[in-house]
Amino acid sequence: MAHGGAPGSRDVNPDVVRAIARLRAEHVLSAGQADLFARVARRGLVSIRFEIRALLYAGVLLLTSGVGILVALHHQEIGPLVIATGISLAAAACLLWVARRAAPFSWAEVTSPSVAFDYVLLLGLLLLGSALAYVEMQFTVLGPRWAYHLLIAGVVYLLAAYRWDSRTALGLALATLAAWRGLSISLVPAATLGPGVAADLRASAIALGALYVGAAALSARLGRKAHFEEVFASAGLLLLLGGLLSGVLDDHRAWDLWLVALLVVAGGVMAVALRLGRSLYFAAGLVAAYIALVRVLFVPFRYGRHADSIPLLLAALLGSVVLGVIFWAHRRMRGR
Amino acid sequence: MRREAIAWERAAEVHAAARGWRRTGAIDEATHRRIHETFPDPCVTPGAVWRVLTGGMVAAIVLCALAAMALSVWRSATEIQVLLLLWGAACLVATDVLEASPRSARRGAAGVTSILGVGFFLMGLGLVLVETVRLRGDDAVDVLLVAAVLTCGLAAWRWGSPLFTGLAGGALFCALARLPQGRLLWLLAGAALAGAAAGRLDDGRLAPSHRIGAAVLTVVGIGAMYAAANVYSLDEGLLEHLARLAPVREDLPRGARLAAAAATALLPLAVLAWGLGARRTFLLDTGIVLLALSLVTLRHYVQVAPLWVVLAVSGALLVALALAVERALRRARAGELAGFTAEPLFSDERRQQALQIVPVVTALTPEARAPSPEPGFAGEGGRFGGGGAQEKF
Repeated sequence: MAHGGAPGSRDVNPDVVRAIARLRAEHVLSAGQADLFARVARRGLVSIRFEIRALLYAGVLLLTSGVGILVALHHQEIGPLVIATGISLAAAACLLWVARRAAPFSWAEVTSPSVAFDYVLLLGLLLLGSALAYVEMQFTVLGPRWAYHLLIAGVVYLLAAYRWDSRTALGLALATLAAWRGLSISLVPAATLGPGVAADLRASAIALGALYVGAAALSARLGRKAHFEEVFASAGLLLLLGGLLSGVLDDHRAWDLWLVALLVVAGGVMAVALRLGRSLYFAAGLVAAYIALVRVLFVPFRYGRHADSIPLLLAALLGSVVLGVIFWAHRRMRGR
Repeated sequence: MRREAIAWERAAEVHAAARGWRRTGAIDEATHRRIHETFPDPCVTPGAVWRVLTGGMVAAIVLCALAAMALSVWRSATEIQVLLLLWGAACLVATDVLEASPRSARRGAAGVTSILGVGFFLMGLGLVLVETVRLRGDDAVDVLLVAAVLTCGLAAWRWGSPLFTGLAGGALFCALARLPQGRLLWLLAGAALAGAAAGRLDDGRLAPSHRIGAAVLTVVGIGAMYAAANVYSLDEGLLEHLARLAPVREDLPRGARLAAAAATALLPLAVLAWGLGARRTFLLDTGIVLLALSLVTLRHYVQVAPLWVVLAVSGALLVALALAVERALRRARAGELAGFTAEPLFSDERRQQALQIVPVVTALTPEARAPSPEPGFAGEGGRFGGGGAQEKF
């Protein structure tokens, strides 16, 4: 490897370059280590992996959008059989490419053979999903149970995620299965499952969320694709806590029961998160509990002169308590 | 920035690099520990989730308390103005106190109080200008933009926040757009800013966060130049709409459109060449984004093919280009070509892969089916999606 920095520039990260020189002089780093680290710090060697990933992602997005528009605008001119065959062949080509390059199946984490692998797999799965949707739309194979094509797509994505060890495909599978039950996985569950949400949607969210959380626990406990745990658990907690929260915010007759259920579940999630050292799960439980408790604060102050200001002040005080809990939990997790 | 805060930042830079070395197994645990002992960092640095959680909760506390006080004391507009200015001042003082302590500087609270403080101050000032001083709308906007440049610039200088650096740059260009010959000023000031900031990117005397601020200003300067030079922006008078007076559509000078068209094509390539030559990934990223914008501009003027062809072909080309670059780098000697590699080096590959799940799920998941009662399939309507496209037919 050649040494030296980028042409016409000084150090990319002068602090790290200076530190490497000192660590080498004090024999903390060997000469070989220091040379490699200094070369990267001086921008003599630069990784463009992120840029390659971004190009692949944008390419997949554009390509699938183009196919979608083609089908939408020209399906009558081209003919349904040609379209279905064309998309299926393209999907098969992508999946064949993936199958030929994939490492043998393992329950442990498998390193991708190349940076493009995940994206070609993603493209193949999306085209396959589009083909399924199109065939169902044109030929009504499933009849009145047309929505089951989402279940089929979700299961195919799930199988692909396990076979080719892709957390991206797993995320897509979980979101597609949620879509089959009429749910959107979003970062703001209260917004999507908020006012006006149907009771069956809420029940679906809670059931599916519990199922995903259970799958996360099983993945970790059995050591079968244990690294899928965080994808399962994140999606599951969004649905589970979002469903319970929508009950607190939206069900005016039984909101108190929903509140108890939410606090119990959120407390359990936070306790488990503390034990396992998972900050994201702890955050999900805490935020859900805080939002639910803020709703309670507004109930006794519906009328009167300070109907708005007192609950807001109490919400601020409650926030201070929650802030204390955050500091305590962080200290405890760091200690572990 | 305080001298001790700069020292903490420098130590944190070394720790971050050492974490990368340890993650890839380039150093062992004992070496990692010795690096920490050689460059002690007294700051408590929680992970991103804790920082977001803390920041979000601090924002909730501050906003709820302000809203409660505003509802209690609101009798006239003056009281709200005073309250906003006082609350802004309190947040700014709190930020300075939090930034001074290694126990609180990096917890996420200081970032939120600084944003809220500057926001409250500017809102309060805006209300004072309009309701108390009774300035005309255009004058108030001008004063507010200058105040935003100064306030955000001071905040960036004092606390080293790249966000405030970007906001100060944005406010500066908005203020310039309101002057006569705004487009020309954008071109000149953009070039000057990008040149000046790029010269400080590797200046070891600057704090690490100020060096990031220099990178932000370089991008802002390039963006301003591109916005001023883009042929669509020129045709539509986009910058002129920001001016104090309503734009008067005059005939463009001879050759101006041609020059703008050439700049639209050449500027992204120049930025890409700069990024490749200097091996700076943020310039490469900027060049790629500008190139995409130029292609969209080209498509607006020259409709060589239907939209679906353009999307599908450009998508296929992007995938092919990325595959070719990755393949060339992988097959090159020692996996590198002209100082570039497709290897992750010391970055956290696993974290990047985890983060990419969010945009994939957000953009590419099929739309949720309609809630019950199940409507059945009618045949003549519906949506086709799953590929990021949702078209009715």
